[in-house]
Amino acid sequence: MNNFRLIIPFVIAGMAIAACAAPPVAPAPRAQQPAEQATPAPAAVAEKVKIRLATWAGVEEAKELQAVIDKVNAAATTYEIVHEPQPADYYTKIQTNLAGGTAADLLWLSQEFIAGYADKGVLLDISDYLKNDTRPAAQLDDYFPDVLQTAQFNGRTYGLPWIAQPVVLYYNPKMFADAGVEPPNENWTWDDFKAAAEKLTRDTDGDGKPDQWGTVFNGWPPIHMFIWQAGGEVISEDKTKSPIDTPEALAGAQFYKDIIYNPKYAAPQEVIKEQGFSELAKNGKVAMFFGGAADDLDYAHTKDPRFAEMQVALVPKGPKNRATFAWTASTVINAATKNPQAAYDALVDLTEGIHRWKIVAPRKSLANAEVIAASVPQKKASAEVILKALPDARSFRIVPRQSEWDSIFWEKFQDPLFQGKGTAAELAKQARPELEATLSQ
Amino acid sequence: MATVSTPAPPKTALRTSGIGSMKVRRMVSDVITYILLVLGALVVLIPLLWMISTSLKTESELFLLPLRLFPEVPQWHNYIDVWRIQPFTQFFMNTIFITVLAMGGEILTCALVAYGFARFRFPGRDILFIIMLGTMMLPGIITLIPTFLIWRGFERIDTFTPLTVGALFAWGPAYIFLLRQFFLTIPHEMEEAATIDGANTLQTFFYVMLPLVKPALLAIAVLSFTGNWNNFQAPLIYINTLQKYPVILALYAFSESLSKEAPKWHYMMAMTVIMSLPIIALYFAAQRYFIEGLTVGAVKG
Amino acid sequence: MDFYARTLIDYAVVALGMAIAMFVVFQVLVRLGMKREAATGYALILPWLLGFIIWTAYPILASLYYSFTNYNVFQPPKWVGLDNYIKWLTNDRSFWPSLRLTLLYGLISLPIGLALSLGVAMLLARNVRGVGVWRTLYYLPAVIPAVATILLWRWLLGSEGLVNQILSPVYNLIGMDKPSWFVDERYALPGLIIMSLWGVFGANTVILLAGLKNIPTHLYEAVELDGGGAWAKFRHITLPMVSPTLFYTLVLGMIAAVKTFEPGIFIKLNSLTTGTFLQVLVYGNAFAGGNSRMGYASALGWIMLVIIMVLTLLVFRSSALWVYYEGERK
Repeated sequence: MNNFRLIIPFVIAGMAIAACAAPPVAPAPRAQQPAEQATPAPAAVAEKVKIRLATWAGVEEAKELQAVIDKVNAAATTYEIVHEPQPADYYTKIQTNLAGGTAADLLWLSQEFIAGYADKGVLLDISDYLKNDTRPAAQLDDYFPDVLQTAQFNGRTYGLPWIAQPVVLYYNPKMFADAGVEPPNENWTWDDFKAAAEKLTRDTDGDGKPDQWGTVFNGWPPIHMFIWQAGGEVISEDKTKSPIDTPEALAGAQFYKDIIYNPKYAAPQEVIKEQGFSELAKNGKVAMFFGGAADDLDYAHTKDPRFAEMQVALVPKGPKNRATFAWTASTVINAATKNPQAAYDALVDLTEGIHRWKIVAPRKSLANAEVIAASVPQKKASAEVILKALPDARSFRIVPRQSEWDSIFWEKFQDPLFQGKGTAAELAKQARPELEATLSQ
Repeated sequence: MATVSTPAPPKTALRTSGIGSMKVRRMVSDVITYILLVLGALVVLIPLLWMISTSLKTESELFLLPLRLFPEVPQWHNYIDVWRIQPFTQFFMNTIFITVLAMGGEILTCALVAYGFARFRFPGRDILFIIMLGTMMLPGIITLIPTFLIWRGFERIDTFTPLTVGALFAWGPAYIFLLRQFFLTIPHEMEEAATIDGANTLQTFFYVMLPLVKPALLAIAVLSFTGNWNNFQAPLIYINTLQKYPVILALYAFSESLSKEAPKWHYMMAMTVIMSLPIIALYFAAQRYFIEGLTVGAVKG
Repeated sequence: MDFYARTLIDYAVVALGMAIAMFVVFQVLVRLGMKREAATGYALILPWLLGFIIWTAYPILASLYYSFTNYNVFQPPKWVGLDNYIKWLTNDRSFWPSLRLTLLYGLISLPIGLALSLGVAMLLARNVRGVGVWRTLYYLPAVIPAVATILLWRWLLGSEGLVNQILSPVYNLIGMDKPSWFVDERYALPGLIIMSLWGVFGANTVILLAGLKNIPTHLYEAVELDGGGAWAKFRHITLPMVSPTLFYTLVLGMIAAVKTFEPGIFIKLNSLTTGTFLQVLVYGNAFAGGNSRMGYASALGWIMLVIIMVLTLLVFRSSALWVYYEGERK
């Protein structure tokens, strides 16, 4: 259970963002479908192997994905992808399925899960397949290296990432204007951000309690990005250390601690519980919200006028850099698949399809305003900022025992820090050896 | 057995009619009784009515203030929508398949075992019977993991086998207990007569004993039916493919996927109503057996 | 539909195997010189005996073994001694809140529920008109699938839900904010308890009513002759006479409380603060995606077993003090 808990800030938030983002790609004309399938010789149809794809897509997202799959299937000669969405308890289902030998051929996994499963030998190593493949989605050097590394383990590749969603800063121009604060710009530092957040936290109805806030944190955005911005690391490059007690790391953690639930800058815990998290931003109660680039905050008001209008800016710059977190997920192949070649072919074609649907596609050649606007027309206005955020976007460094590492990092460091049960330095010192114990094999 | 309401015995009337103040007191307390009963009934009924009324609302009516018990126009098509969003017919067939197989196996084997415990003397019988009763106390979770691993060994994950075949091993110590109590009340002469007529043990069991305990069998049948229909944990662990979902798992998946998007409570409540209806219908049709199964342990135990 | 066929075949094979096994056991025992009656008895209880060995005895022992190992399902179990009991228990910040939640849930909802049920059962036992109708009505929530009850109450207890709307004058009166029941950790437990009370009190009412109906009226008349009032009747007749039934419902309720599972799955509780139900904790650890800890989950299962055993023992021990077995003449 605790694994689920601590991933909440990342996976759930990330998934929710990814899920509610995606606007309809021009839906495949369904009426044509039967006609197309009827034309090829029946024998050819019979030869297609069924490739099962498991995803966590909810009802709406599944509908959009089906459109992508329909297109891929129409072009395919050797396989037919069958989508099996598992919106409830996705990772539990995947676990029992893999354990029971009944898992689908293709699986969606978010970045935290790939190394662990690869280490246990349940994912197909696709490195050799990729070597001789000329299809664009199979060219590893086109992928952002930092995103690609989440799908790799010990130098081998186990999947293809289909999204790299950098965190950007959504802000509410009207609230800025009302408070007389300059909107965020590219030179914003932590101090500028804090000063603005303080001014934006206001009591507008005069009852002595603030009813709108500068920002809101609750474990999301990931504390990692602020530690990175200060020059610290949570897992070292060689993945043997968790130097969270270095002065740089502590500076990042301290910045986070200063803001989270602090009524001077941010919505307190009770308010989040009562009114939701991203809902606070949507409903115009929070002026600045760290959200995934694909989030609908900047166009929600076009669907429903009750939602606040928001715009996109880069996240503020830390003492060392402007690192931002890139949420990413990959499609992987079950090592027990009966049709590895067909599954691999389906993987590459499907990945190409998803790259034209989700933003941002994690490939250099597709990271441009045209592709973003074609995938998600509502994001046209924000494309420029999103593209600027990409060079600073980083994914997690994933280790085989990632979920254990994550639980310790949440339960022994973040949660007590946010609840005021110790200083960053004390907690970091205690947590570090436990974290590092999960890094040694 | 627990009998349904008996009319107030005339004795009471005689006793109270004599004294005026007693009569008044009795009336007052009767009024209070009925007021309390009606209040209790409201507590029971309002949530149920709310469930039905929600299932007939439009999405925009859900949070409309002040809340209204009745939707402006009942949206009966919510039920059709829900049925269409997912392969609901399939889910129903799955649930029925699982329930029927599990129930059949359970009733038959529990009856055999109960008969064995009730009518035959063999060394260790009483100890085994106590052990059997003891298993009622076991938290199912402790056997969950090895059981999962056994089915995994047989490559039966994501099949209905773990949900049904186990029933052939006389699942349900409570059922065995209940049936044994009934078998004990049957006079031995019945079997002796059958034996003299040349019937063997199985013939006696099927043609003489089972018909005699029919009320108990029906009581078990309703308990077993509801138990399997409402079983959530086992399908949650063993069933992974949408196509094989029983209704209850579909409901769970639906509630999870909806919580990611907008909370479509009208659909959720429609699904809840659909899922509960067969059980409620069974309850009204066979209420006597529900109550029998429920009370026999308490009163006889 | 081939998945139906697959299970049907499994089912038929096992059923046939069971029948053959029963026959063989009978024949072998008789050949070995056992009386026909005893041999028949063994053959008849064979399904249960086999089930007990395969699905209860072996799993209990196996889970004891797993509880001393590290086991992620994909790689063979690794022996780690008492690690799961010591290291994880002291490190798992979800365990103590969850133990607290599970126990409090049982300790609070059981007595309240039984008192309510007894009250209603006593009202119904007063020869009210249409007992059958009332009983049907009160029992209705108990037959509704637990999962449906949970979804319904999640909806009713939402922060804009019906309950808060009905109670809003009360909130205003005592100057408190509308609680968001299952979200706010202070109200999670009360919310769960309200839900469980609604779900089970009908069943207990029916059981207790049956117990009350079994009390001979002459006992009450005897108290009346002695000049005893309503309280004396309750204290000296009703309570002792219904105490075995109360005991029965208490034991069943206690086991059910420790085994609570569905509410913890459908209602996302914060396992670090509110805690979640122990069963959910076991399930979560055993089947967690990417980090399945079958060994630790088995250890938790054993801890639950010990808890249930201790509680049952306590209740049985205490029963001598308050449960009255009529006449004890058997």
